[in-house]
Amino acid sequence: MSSITLKNISKIYSDGTIAVNDVNLQIENKEFIILVGPSGCGKSTTLRMIAGLEQISKGEMKIGDRVVNEIEPKDRNIAMVFQSYALYPHMTVYKNMAFGLELRKIPKNEIDKRVREAAKILDIEHLLKRKPKALSGGQRQRVALGRAMVRSPDVFLLDEPLSNLDAKLRTAMRTEIIKLHKRLETTFVYVTHDQTEAMTMGDRIVVMKDGIVQQVDTPKNLYNSPCNLFVAGFIGSPGMNFIPCEFDSKNKVRINGSTITITQKEQLEALIKDGGDNLTLGIRPEDITVDSEYIKKHPDSVFEAQVDVVEPLGSETFLYLDFFGTRIIARVSPDVTFTQGEIVKLGINTEKLHIFDTSSGENILTLN
Amino acid sequence: MSKRGIISKFFSYLFLIIAAVVFLSPIFIVLMNSFKSKFHISDSPFTLPDEKTFEGFRNYTQGVAKTGFFSAFGWSLFITVFSVAAIVFFTSMTAWYITRRKTKFTQILYYAFVFSMIVPFQMVMFTLTKTANILSLDNPVGLIIIYLGFGAGLSVFMFSGFVKSIPIEIEEAAMIDGCNPVQTYFRIVFPILKPTAITVAILNAMWVWNDYLLPYLLIGSEYKTIPIAVQYLKGGYGSVDMGAMMAMLVLAIVPIVIFYLTSQKYIIKGVAAGAVKG
Repeated sequence: MSSITLKNISKIYSDGTIAVNDVNLQIENKEFIILVGPSGCGKSTTLRMIAGLEQISKGEMKIGDRVVNEIEPKDRNIAMVFQSYALYPHMTVYKNMAFGLELRKIPKNEIDKRVREAAKILDIEHLLKRKPKALSGGQRQRVALGRAMVRSPDVFLLDEPLSNLDAKLRTAMRTEIIKLHKRLETTFVYVTHDQTEAMTMGDRIVVMKDGIVQQVDTPKNLYNSPCNLFVAGFIGSPGMNFIPCEFDSKNKVRINGSTITITQKEQLEALIKDGGDNLTLGIRPEDITVDSEYIKKHPDSVFEAQVDVVEPLGSETFLYLDFFGTRIIARVSPDVTFTQGEIVKLGINTEKLHIFDTSSGENILTLN
Repeated sequence: MSKRGIISKFFSYLFLIIAAVVFLSPIFIVLMNSFKSKFHISDSPFTLPDEKTFEGFRNYTQGVAKTGFFSAFGWSLFITVFSVAAIVFFTSMTAWYITRRKTKFTQILYYAFVFSMIVPFQMVMFTLTKTANILSLDNPVGLIIIYLGFGAGLSVFMFSGFVKSIPIEIEEAAMIDGCNPVQTYFRIVFPILKPTAITVAILNAMWVWNDYLLPYLLIGSEYKTIPIAVQYLKGGYGSVDMGAMMAMLVLAIVPIVIFYLTSQKYIIKGVAAGAVKG
């Protein structure tokens, strides 16, 4: 049983800085959970509190059924993979992996068996006699994972383990870690600021900002139903477009004189009670189209915008557009060609809109 | 290589050769004269020994007998080995502690160590001698403690620079692996500090081995180290047995030169490692 419970967890430094503020989180046994957010959001501090490397200022933390607030890192039965790998430079790969087991007085033949097994899984058997300085970044990362694996811990903690690798290796290691989680069937807590890693690896994602948990959900739900402007903007690459708008009447939203008809008008009317003149419309880049057929069929949701930059990526093209003074991005087919400065007609998929209260940032309506 | 490159290489080699000759010639002169009789040393100090002037190892045997060289060698070795061991052991631990624990106290402590580097020995030698007498430190073991105090400034400074360059994650990984602070120090931190430890050991060994004034003031009358023993070759009215003195000087520098040559590759590594970060 290796669930983790964070109950009203806070981290307040001696100078009064609040790094983590009242976090409540239940991480299930064998779950792969991702802590994601921008720099300084408290994700690494939360992970370090789970590891026991940071004192918990307030709240209660449990690993399994055991309260671990005052328990030393070595007695929590956790293993951690650091961003900088943190391998012992004076020891060989074998020694690095065996060190934790030696300290726990595990018999030598058992240590040897575990180290060789882990090395086989990670394909680093041929590196066992080398020292870390003779390894590449990817190999070091594998050794760091191996060092964690041999301990058979209850919980794996990974602190931005891929951020020092190049893009190609990062993609390869991402798959390796997903496979490793499936194979080991252990709880994984993974910190990253890369939302692609978050979306592709985790069973659930915890989005944090300024020490506060914004939303905890599956990658799909986070993408489709973000709870506020921050989550909507952070999840997805490129992020969601935000356009200032006003509630017009009944089932219409007004953007700079033009209106969009919202099909689920009852929801809109129910949610926007006080005039709704301070709203933000959110739309994903893929829900903006330049397809002429769609535009003909949906004249109620067509706008014009000026092309600023065209980014052809081969499989798709990103159009950076000036939309009534707001920069928006559209993900369009690579077959369509545009030139800078051209005025284009855009069709907005009104069934995939999000409406946010601009002042509070809260999502008040999601149409899916 | 261009003509300019060849000329610049020629001059740099020329400069290095001249510098090497300047630094090595005193040692060579001492070595050369240690095989000549004392009368010929003052007559022709810069000539090689010939069949007339060559004395063989007579100067060595006489010097050893006159100075009680083996006893002096023993005391020098004892004081140097234990002083250096104490300096490396205690100052590396201190540097680790004051670098990792960022408090007002450790900051003050660090600056106190750095400040001690710039206080010349002559400024404190009389008060120190008096204090050492009061505290019964005027014996070889007491001298080791005093050397620890004098060597701590530079050593803590050097170790601190290197500790700063060790990522804290390595120590945290050790904590998670199961190390307590003592194990973290001995099994992780100290092995990583090895190049700096060797540099500190070499610098301090050369200083302690060759030091004359401090042992002379504190233990000179009872326990003679090599520098003190050698100066006893000076007789009355300024007469000096130059042959024996040269022979003893050769014997005195041999151990430290061997120590330096065997571990000199670590000096550059250690100094550079501490200097890059921190």
